[in-house]
Amino acid sequence: MTTPLLERPPGREGPATAPRPGRRRVRTGRAALFVIMLGVAVVMLYPFWVMIFDSLKTEAQFLAGKGFSLGSWKALNSVIPVGQQVLSSTIICCASIIVIVLIGLPAGFAFSKLRFRTSTLIFLVIVSAMMVPLQAILMPEFVNITKLGLTSGYFGAVIVYAALGTPFSVFLFTTYFRGVPDELIEAGIVDGLGYFGVLWRLVVPIAVPAIATVTVLQFIQIWDDLLVGLLFIQNTSQRPITVGLAVLSAGRTTSIPELMAGSFISALPAMLVYLGFQRYLVKGLTMGIDR
Amino acid sequence: MSSATATAPRRRRLTLSRRRQLAGAVFALPAIGLVLGFIVVPIGQAVYYSMTQWDGVSSTWIGPSTWNQALHNPTLWTALRNNALLLLSVPFALGLPLAIAVLLHQRVAGWRIFRSIYFLPTAISWVVLGLVAQRFFAYQGTLNSIIHFFGFSHTNTNMLGYESTALSALGITFIFTMVGTNTMLFLTGLATLDPSLEEAARIDGAGRWRIFRYITLPHLSRFIQLAFVMTVIALFSALFSLIFVMTGGGPGYATTTMEFLIYQTGFNQGDFGTAALYGLILFILTAIVGVVQLRLIGADE
Repeated sequence: MTTPLLERPPGREGPATAPRPGRRRVRTGRAALFVIMLGVAVVMLYPFWVMIFDSLKTEAQFLAGKGFSLGSWKALNSVIPVGQQVLSSTIICCASIIVIVLIGLPAGFAFSKLRFRTSTLIFLVIVSAMMVPLQAILMPEFVNITKLGLTSGYFGAVIVYAALGTPFSVFLFTTYFRGVPDELIEAGIVDGLGYFGVLWRLVVPIAVPAIATVTVLQFIQIWDDLLVGLLFIQNTSQRPITVGLAVLSAGRTTSIPELMAGSFISALPAMLVYLGFQRYLVKGLTMGIDR
Repeated sequence: MSSATATAPRRRRLTLSRRRQLAGAVFALPAIGLVLGFIVVPIGQAVYYSMTQWDGVSSTWIGPSTWNQALHNPTLWTALRNNALLLLSVPFALGLPLAIAVLLHQRVAGWRIFRSIYFLPTAISWVVLGLVAQRFFAYQGTLNSIIHFFGFSHTNTNMLGYESTALSALGITFIFTMVGTNTMLFLTGLATLDPSLEEAARIDGAGRWRIFRYITLPHLSRFIQLAFVMTVIALFSALFSLIFVMTGGGPGYATTTMEFLIYQTGFNQGDFGTAALYGLILFILTAIVGVVQLRLIGADE
């Protein structure tokens, strides 16, 4: 940061003649910068080193600190039912996201284009709910879901995730639809589509970027979550992967290599979604201040 | 709505407007129901339950005196103190990403790859990051290897094992977990900065620090505010996974924060009433931060 770094002509390294002192300073500066960034990269990749190298050992090799083997990967499924838990995570994620979008999209359309009496107040209440952490209402929520008999199976977790994700999705869709011209909706009504037809035929197709943003953000949030899966899914064979890992790690006789192998598998889907849809994530995060 | 006197076009417009409002209400209804039923009503229930002797099955009304008793529980104050101490990590959780974002913004060779690498841990569950942090701080972990590498071969740390250091280890892990998200926010902010502004300042002879201080930083203020609010909210409500796998709230109560205390009180001790009350305290704390956030979002609406 100590030298100006923008003057370098793109794609051209030092000239044939002796470089001027200023130019040399620029190049040293850029080299130093590159080294710093490489250092930061090593730190940020640290979790991956740990997961990969610690998983490529047997328990004995891990304790001795040397040697490599695929033993823990081969034994993985007998220690943690990884396949089953990844499947559970996937089911919970998909079901929750479908509910969040199906409920949030029409509501966002209503709050932006079909405003009714008290809609502003209701919108404010829903947006405020975004700020309520689950822990604050954990006890009543747990009792309600239990009394409804939803803790067996995925329904309890899906409903809780949907309730927690809906305020954000309503906010995002409302903000997004405000940019849609009123004429489009009016034209649809004049053409006799009806409000449901307008929603389905005109609004949903233009909402694809907003749907993508909600999906990506919620996927990472729900896939990575622990608390809801831990409390609202009683059946151990329906546990999502994060719960499986956390519970395993809390046990006394945990084999670290297998735990790390499981961790790596649990991290993969979210990473892929993340790398593939980075820009939607950024859009969602800065929603409200970056328009 | 007396149709006898109204002219035909006006009547049509009125019914149109009413139909539109009706459609809006119908479309919004599921969202309203879900949020009311599973977020708003439980807040009210929590107020009621907090004044009862309650184990999740049967409740006995006691009244506001339960508050008095619970507020004198030293563990509550330990948890609140831990939350307050963890706030000390917030400047680092904002400062480091700001520095990284500024570095990335210099567009050094390969910056796109660096950007992806820096953001990557954001995708990983905090459960997994907690497990990795445990490996980092462990007696035979990376931290001690680093210390030995620098020649202090007889120094061994075990930060998660001692009351005096466990919270610091948790704070460091928290900073690491926030780096990706906050860097992303700041980089987005920097991308909206007009480069000709900085160029003009440079031509006028302003140094890099002055450009950063008087042009870049003010431009980023809204992004910094947003990152601040998100970081504080995460600090109060997202540490559960880290604590669960790293320390279980210990040693003692050294790493028990409000959110973890709620879980422990409710599910380890079975005291649902007190846990509901602690939930309300957490709710009030986040509500304060939330008001700041709403003002931020509402500023241009």
